[in-house]
Amino acid sequence: MKEIEVTLTVNKRVHTVNVAPRMTLVDCLRDILRLTGTHVGCEHGVCGACSVMFDGEPVRSCLMFAVQAEGHEITTVEGLVGEDGEISDLQDSFWECHAMQCGYCTPGMLISSHALLMENPSPDDHDIREAISGNLCRCTGYQQIVEAVKMAAERRQEGL
Amino acid sequence: MKYQKIGQPVRRREDARLLKGQGRFSDDWSVDGQTYMAVVRSTYAHAFILGIDVEVARSMPGVLTILTGDDARLDNLAPIPHSPLPSTKHDMKLEGPNGSEVFIGDHTLLPTDKVRYVGEAIAIVVAETLAQAEDAAEVVSVNYDPLPAVTDTAKAAENGAPTIWDEVPDNICVETFFGDKERTDAAFAAAQDVVEMDIVIDRVTGVPMEPRAALGDYNLDTGRYTIYAGSGGSVRQKREIAEVLGVEGDTVRVVSKDVGGNFGTRNRLYVEFPLVGWASRKIGRPVKWTCDRGESFLSDYQGRDLVTRVSLALDDAGQFLAMRADNLSNVGSRMVSLSPLSKGSGLITGSYDIPVAYLRSRAVFSNTAPTNAYRSSGRPEVTFAIERLVETAAAELGYDPIELRRKNLVSSEQMPYPNAVGMTYDSGEYAKSMDMCMDLADWRGFETRKKEAESRGMLLGRGFANYVESSIGTPREQAEIHVRADGHIDLVIGTQPSGQGHETSFAQVAAEWLGVPVNTISVIVGDTDLVKVGGGSHSGRSMRMAGTVIVKAADELIEKSKKLAAVVLEAAETDLEFHDGKFQVVGTDREISLYALAEVVGRRSDLPEKLSVIEDNVMETPVFPNGCHICEIEIDPVSGAYKIARYTTVDDVGRAINPLIVDGQTHGGIVQGAGEALGELCAMDPESGQPLAGSFMDYHMPRADEYPSFKTELNEVPSPTNPLGVKAGGEGGTTPALAVLVNGFVDALRPFGVRDIQMPVTPRKVWELIKAGS
Amino acid sequence: MKAATFDYVRPASVDEVCRLLADAGEMERKIIAGGQTLVPLMAMRMSRPDMLIDINDVNGLSEIEDKGDHLVIGGCTRQRALERSEIISKRLPLLAKAIRKVGHIQTRNRGTIGGSIVHGDPTAEISMAALALEASVLLRSVSEEKEVPLDGFFEAAMVTNIEPDQILTEVRIPVWEGASIGTGFYETASRESDYAIVSAMAQIELAADGTIVKAAVSAGGVAPCPLKLRGVELALKGSKPAELSSALDGLDEEIDPDTDVHATAGYRSRVARRLITRAIEDAVSEAKNERD
Ligand code: FES
Ligand code: FES
Repeated sequence: MKEIEVTLTVNKRVHTVNVAPRMTLVDCLRDILRLTGTHVGCEHGVCGACSVMFDGEPVRSCLMFAVQAEGHEITTVEGLVGEDGEISDLQDSFWECHAMQCGYCTPGMLISSHALLMENPSPDDHDIREAISGNLCRCTGYQQIVEAVKMAAERRQEGL
Repeated sequence: MKYQKIGQPVRRREDARLLKGQGRFSDDWSVDGQTYMAVVRSTYAHAFILGIDVEVARSMPGVLTILTGDDARLDNLAPIPHSPLPSTKHDMKLEGPNGSEVFIGDHTLLPTDKVRYVGEAIAIVVAETLAQAEDAAEVVSVNYDPLPAVTDTAKAAENGAPTIWDEVPDNICVETFFGDKERTDAAFAAAQDVVEMDIVIDRVTGVPMEPRAALGDYNLDTGRYTIYAGSGGSVRQKREIAEVLGVEGDTVRVVSKDVGGNFGTRNRLYVEFPLVGWASRKIGRPVKWTCDRGESFLSDYQGRDLVTRVSLALDDAGQFLAMRADNLSNVGSRMVSLSPLSKGSGLITGSYDIPVAYLRSRAVFSNTAPTNAYRSSGRPEVTFAIERLVETAAAELGYDPIELRRKNLVSSEQMPYPNAVGMTYDSGEYAKSMDMCMDLADWRGFETRKKEAESRGMLLGRGFANYVESSIGTPREQAEIHVRADGHIDLVIGTQPSGQGHETSFAQVAAEWLGVPVNTISVIVGDTDLVKVGGGSHSGRSMRMAGTVIVKAADELIEKSKKLAAVVLEAAETDLEFHDGKFQVVGTDREISLYALAEVVGRRSDLPEKLSVIEDNVMETPVFPNGCHICEIEIDPVSGAYKIARYTTVDDVGRAINPLIVDGQTHGGIVQGAGEALGELCAMDPESGQPLAGSFMDYHMPRADEYPSFKTELNEVPSPTNPLGVKAGGEGGTTPALAVLVNGFVDALRPFGVRDIQMPVTPRKVWELIKAGS
Repeated sequence: MKAATFDYVRPASVDEVCRLLADAGEMERKIIAGGQTLVPLMAMRMSRPDMLIDINDVNGLSEIEDKGDHLVIGGCTRQRALERSEIISKRLPLLAKAIRKVGHIQTRNRGTIGGSIVHGDPTAEISMAALALEASVLLRSVSEEKEVPLDGFFEAAMVTNIEPDQILTEVRIPVWEGASIGTGFYETASRESDYAIVSAMAQIELAADGTIVKAAVSAGGVAPCPLKLRGVELALKGSKPAELSSALDGLDEEIDPDTDVHATAGYRSRVARRLITRAIEDAVSEAKNERD
């Protein structure tokens, strides 16, 4: 199949790649751009491991083809880290609360919670659980993730 | 002894990379020139393979090679040497019917005779891209001669069931008796009451979020295979891959770094791992395989699947007199592990003092994916059986379920307690844990909450269960400690974490012993060129085995360094004191740190030794984590929909090295157990043996919005069996969860005449029971 | 799995889309908007189109316009945009209530209103709300543009009355102007975010004296496709909320539930009855509050 040239911005850097139309966005991120932080847990749109920010909104990158990303802006977990390599306050709360075990779902969880906090700076437990209900985690039982998101929100509110 | 680092909620070191997307999971490895493998899998549950036509597939774009079982045979690939029989000193030993040797059967990589379950690998396609390999795999045409199939556990053991292995015409591969038949029979005969239940614990699967993957890279020049593949322990994988490929152990290097969940499913070798190595040698290029989710539902080793009949004899005061159990475990089509049957066999009497018991343990082949240990192998099943049985006994004989339990609980004074089938519980305060958990759960406030729920038209049920589980595991572990002059210490160990935080908790132990900061210790696991020996991570063994050997190695290191320090400081050994990572000449300010010592030792030719130790430890004695869980479930009788309103636990994990990690293990364990109680099921069509759950759309994975936050506490009773007092913290969440939840549902639905509910308890099932009873 | 191979085009206009569809011949050409239903099917190779026509760059397909007595919503409007739209929450409270239950945030960010409707899931919340409110859809092909009422658009599970050469460009949903309007929505799933097994929606308008003047009721999971319950609506109209229970007398004639892996027919009809009742009750009490 003929490949198509696509130009997309990932974590503020512009890339031009050639992809077959059937290549999903997540495969492009992982296999061509070698950004392996975004994971694949199902390829059929349920687990959320492949979540990325697409034009500022969280989406599942296994449910998009890379050709559809032409001209769009993507942020992956690698892009949540500051310019200086410092982790974000949300990542720090995840760390402090032990919000990951194997860490496989973590990039997707971070993306979903990051999106939640942008929209709702003071979520309660229910809001958080709803926001991450599209992300499967087999290890944590979700509780320490909920605690981490709450901690990040509270710290932001307190201006810490 | 007061510890400084052990017991602290230290932030995990591994998180520094995992948080930034810089973990290294199996599919994250890539090497130049790599190709991709797709697997052709059986679409029948049971069929002769008459032929495989690969001609069309071979001519597809990008295809490099297609290999079948015939090719594997020509190349003399050996079957996987699984060693399914538990064999350490304290395992419950299993045998074949009438004392015969257990028939294991070859786990051929690509069978040529017949397929025995849907999803069994029969050929591989290697192509330039994965999509091309999948395109070609689709058109590989297999000529099958279908045979009748059986997937159901009880049916597979019935007369006249289809035979999976000719060598075992009735499919029953294990039949072993434990306990004392005569005394049990006598106790039953003399009993005032007997309560009996038939229990089915259905098939589920582990579903680590990271699908299995392997990258094989054969080096033509050196003749060495490197396999990048996450598992439950690289050392075992390396040994078995080498055996399959027919090469010396060190010809194979297995590398695994981050592993995205295991839960037992990755402990044993899978066919695809040696296959990528073999294929790489065949085509002279690296070959990568990544399981897709549908494939993992078909071909991951699955879990649970036990049917049992249990009965309990009681005297007129409710004292337990004896117990019988008849356990039948489904091993699937190929025998990978008998761990679940064996583990469960040792714990049928649970937390209770039941003087005599008699148990028949059987295993049966079926046309299903092989089963293996799955989180808390064997223990949730028997905990479910005993706790459901006790609950039912209380309800039917008119006892308060709590009082009945208290009356029969194994007491602290009885420790170490030998149970009726031969396990000896090391330590524990079962009654205290019960009290703690009931307080924490506000047991007394339940009636008020129930009334309040009823005022909203809801039902509220309460579930309770005690548990005791065992941690045995491969008894040998080895640790190496290398002190580096640059201020770091390498700790090499043969376990394989998949989220348990070994890089942190092991470092805490070593740091405690050596008196250095936790972050100066680098824990090295997973690369068989660096880690030569190791038992992997399973059965809750890691913290205990590794902790013990680390302590031993650290003591040895201090001993050895002291001699060297004495030379360097020109002092008598007896004048040296070790603290905070350094040796000091008592009463002076002359001192030298371990690192400085390493530097000196490296430099001075008169001190040829390195500041390194290798220690081995063998520890057979098992430990018995235990505890108590309580839940409340609110049910909407209109639709049968429900929610878990509260869930409370008190667990005795022995000493907790890092409480944050233990809490996380408990939460995750609860949800994994609850998933099975509430929704997870590897449903299969009984006629065709076709799996009906092949994606996340039809396998009910637990999600964040289904659960409340849990209240969890520890009742740490250090185990006397090891220097740190560790038991295990990974399985306690799961072990009683099935029983607690089903007890809760039955409690709520008892007014509708419900005695028992088979898992998974779906809203529809609840609704039907309510309808039938009202 | 990786999807089977296909050609990809991204036209800029509806005309171009229609032409591509018209020229398909023997080929299967499929429109991709949000892709949230289509891509999983492709990833399992249960759908293998020869060409994907991406309409995300087509102008004018994602506007929400208030036309007075109805709203016009572009077929490619994201579900998330509906959720955030003030016009929708003010003018189409039933749709606003339903939309949050569609999938997850990540899928609503891509999924579109048109995609949800053309796929015809039997319990899809958007279809149910639109159907209850007597919405219609605008279908375009090279040869014609026609407005088709949603009542009759859903044929069977996952089958709708759209031709392979047509594109859904607009959804038109009537707006109720009354002063006291209330809505109710219930669904039962294995759990919250799953596809519903049974669902029920109602929008009710009360007169000043408390009489029901207008009723829109629909149910999902009780027939092969979403169902507008005209009989129930008729019975409700002109009645007082106190007479609610008799309004459902004819329900069994209207619904046609099936037994499948998720539920038996009996479960569906009994639960549907209760959920419909609850939805209507909620709508009535909300309408009362509006008035007071
Ligand atoms: S990989 Fe995209 S949702 Fe699972
Ligand atoms: S931490 Fe392992 S899947 Fe979430």
